[in-house]
Amino acid sequence: MSDNTEINPDLDTTTRPAPVIMPGHTFKSVTDKIASIALGRRTPMGWIIGFGISFMVFMVMMYTLGYLVMTGVGIWGNNQPVGWAFDIINLVWWIGIGHAGTLISAILLLLRQDWRTSINRFAEAMTLFAVACAGLFPLFHTGRPWLAYWMFPVPNTMGMWPQFRSPLMWDVFAISTYASVSAVFWFIGLIPDFATLRDRAKKHSAKVIYGMLAMGWRGSARHWHNYETAYLILAGLATPLVISVHSVISFDFTVGIIPGWHATIFPPYFVAGAIYAGFAMVLMLAIPIRRWYGLEDFITMRHLKNMSKIMLASGLIVAYGYMMETFTAWYSGNQFEDYMIKNRFKGPYAFWYWTLIACNVIVPQLLWIKRFRNSIASLFTVSVVISIGMWLERFIIIPVSLHRDFLPGSWGMYSPTEWDWSMYIGTIGFFVMLLFLFVRFVPMISIFEMRTILPQAEVKEAQ
Amino acid sequence: MSEITAIAPPELDRFRQRALYTGIIALLACGVGAVYDRQQFFRSYLLAFVFWIGIALGCFAILMVQHLSGGAWGLVIRRVLEGATRTFPLLLLLFIPLLFGMTGLYTWAQPQAAQNPLLQHKAPYLNVTFFIARAAFYFAVWLAVSFFLNRWSAEQDRTREESVTRRMQNISGPGLLLYGLTTTFASIDWVMSLEPEWFSTIFGMLFMGGQAISAMSFVIAVVVLLASTKPMSDILAPRHLHDLGKLLLAFIMIWAYFSFSQFLIIYAGNLPEEITWYVHRLRGPWRYIGLGLVIFHFALPFLLLLSRDLKRSGRWLATLAVAVLVMRLVDLFWLMAPDFHEGTFHLHWMDLALPLGLGGVWLWFFASQLKSRPILPLGDPALAEAISAHEGH
Repeated sequence: MSDNTEINPDLDTTTRPAPVIMPGHTFKSVTDKIASIALGRRTPMGWIIGFGISFMVFMVMMYTLGYLVMTGVGIWGNNQPVGWAFDIINLVWWIGIGHAGTLISAILLLLRQDWRTSINRFAEAMTLFAVACAGLFPLFHTGRPWLAYWMFPVPNTMGMWPQFRSPLMWDVFAISTYASVSAVFWFIGLIPDFATLRDRAKKHSAKVIYGMLAMGWRGSARHWHNYETAYLILAGLATPLVISVHSVISFDFTVGIIPGWHATIFPPYFVAGAIYAGFAMVLMLAIPIRRWYGLEDFITMRHLKNMSKIMLASGLIVAYGYMMETFTAWYSGNQFEDYMIKNRFKGPYAFWYWTLIACNVIVPQLLWIKRFRNSIASLFTVSVVISIGMWLERFIIIPVSLHRDFLPGSWGMYSPTEWDWSMYIGTIGFFVMLLFLFVRFVPMISIFEMRTILPQAEVKEAQ
Repeated sequence: MSEITAIAPPELDRFRQRALYTGIIALLACGVGAVYDRQQFFRSYLLAFVFWIGIALGCFAILMVQHLSGGAWGLVIRRVLEGATRTFPLLLLLFIPLLFGMTGLYTWAQPQAAQNPLLQHKAPYLNVTFFIARAAFYFAVWLAVSFFLNRWSAEQDRTREESVTRRMQNISGPGLLLYGLTTTFASIDWVMSLEPEWFSTIFGMLFMGGQAISAMSFVIAVVVLLASTKPMSDILAPRHLHDLGKLLLAFIMIWAYFSFSQFLIIYAGNLPEEITWYVHRLRGPWRYIGLGLVIFHFALPFLLLLSRDLKRSGRWLATLAVAVLVMRLVDLFWLMAPDFHEGTFHLHWMDLALPLGLGGVWLWFFASQLKSRPILPLGDPALAEAISAHEGH
């Protein structure tokens, strides 16, 4: 181990990428900095205001859900011929956002990308909260959420059994698996940090609560051994989930034969879109959080730049998907496919299609420019634009494909009602509220993993 | 660093000669075959060409990924990848004979296509002039980008300058984009349009996934072969092989994922214009080849590559890689040959002889290219760390 704690930041900057943790930190300063946010006695005023606002928006969601259950799904705008609209758009949008969290925590761990360390914790939290928001939509779209357990293969006296040939059933399993694995992965990663908080807590109640969450962690060699094994296995399990969940979501559409839905490229293109939207959301969260809590030393420009590069790459795959859809619509020589694209280009929703192209294809090309990637304000703006673009993409795919399919006699228009909007906005409030609770009570950056990437922790071992 | 004498081993010369002789003999036999069955010659020739250019294109893509991502695995195989990309001039030469067989290969290039309204609709894209123009464009892109990557890599050896490394990184981003676009349309032109009524939006990606497997298997086989003698035997460590094996596993999974997605979607939709393609491939003996792909192109290599010991053993990994490479040829055969016979099974001796013939010539050319440069990128700033005994990352 080297005792050289001071590293000249200008050293070798040409060959070395920017550091993943700013120089000058020690084991103690890292622990102090992160733990104090969760253990601090005084709740900052900004937190109270932010939490209050998001709580009120969350209440809008609760009110909508109450009214929805009392009245029925007829309060939503979807009706023949557009049977799927905001409920599915928002499901896909939220699930997609969650993907970046799993990608960061599992795939980047397996690829030994140490820069993931400071962002994986809150990216995983974001995954969980996004999945929670996503799950609400199909759950309430069933109309009778209290009978949702019918979707599981539970033997019952009514002789009911799930229709396993339906992709909607695959969704039930894909999403519930994803939610459980993500939750377990997140919690296991938290155990050593909960123990740190337990040991540092001053208040009795905090000691008890964090103590229970730490599950008796003592930091012994055996604990660490088991921990590392479990974490790696879970990372291995979570990796295929990054791909499978959104692929199954895409099967909801592709297994049908609606023009605009039935395209073989959908599975990888949906996955790329999910990663795209997810990284946009991670950036949208990371940028303000590092600022407000003064975490610029831990979430450095290197993180923001790497994420913007992943965003650019996944965005290009999404653009490739649009291109192949358009080319194939013509190449297929199928009149319905051909009309589907013409309807997107020039139909009643053409304005939204071109907005989507601007948001998802044109604006993100700015990320090729280095100066642009180095500007935090621009990264934040482009992330917001991509989030909007990815929402519009699902709008174009779902209702716009449904509103004009084969028979002109059964065409119709779709417009969302105020309840569609209040449900959607309400879930944003729910998501933000959960995030506020998370940053206040849970160490939002993994303390012990940050300590391992300090230069002091580097152990040179002989082979 | 300086004690490394990274000169290609003399064994490479023997390999080169053998490859060339095998290639020439096989090609002569096929030349005789062409006299008797000209149409079959071109069919087998297309199969062989698509197989070998797949390796070169896959290496081209992995080379650029490696410039962008870094990592020790990329440095030990860099010269093999570069050697494969320097075969594009030869591949361009090998492409030219196909132009003489186009009317036999592609129904859209035949005069009776004018009677088919669907092919009339596609004629602005599927016509001989535009086909050749596009192929010229693809080759121009591949030749240009690979030219600069190779030139700068040689410059890096000499000057060891930082700016050269950055230049290679800068060209790799746009280069990958161009690779994706050109390979997609090349896959549509050369393979998908063999059954011109059929279409699938994922086809380009599926094709690129296959190329990645071909290239990674090829590279593994080559580095393990090189490691049988000095200097590579001192350098190639189990951890490098471990990473290469993991990448091969990942590519195999991606390929299986694309293939399964395409199959499931078309199967579930069951639309006449799409399902016909699978009907041709799932009838008679074709079905067993398809099933063989599931087992030997995916399931078996997948399970074997999960083993850490196998990935770290050069001999085992290389054996598996060669087997996977053979399955790549079977996969391409299954993708292409059923279109020529409306789904009835047909295997001609030239389907084996021509891949061997073109492969012999291609391998000879590749080995000459490999030999012409140090076996490691000596000027790369990350090389010392990549080949040090220290198990770091």
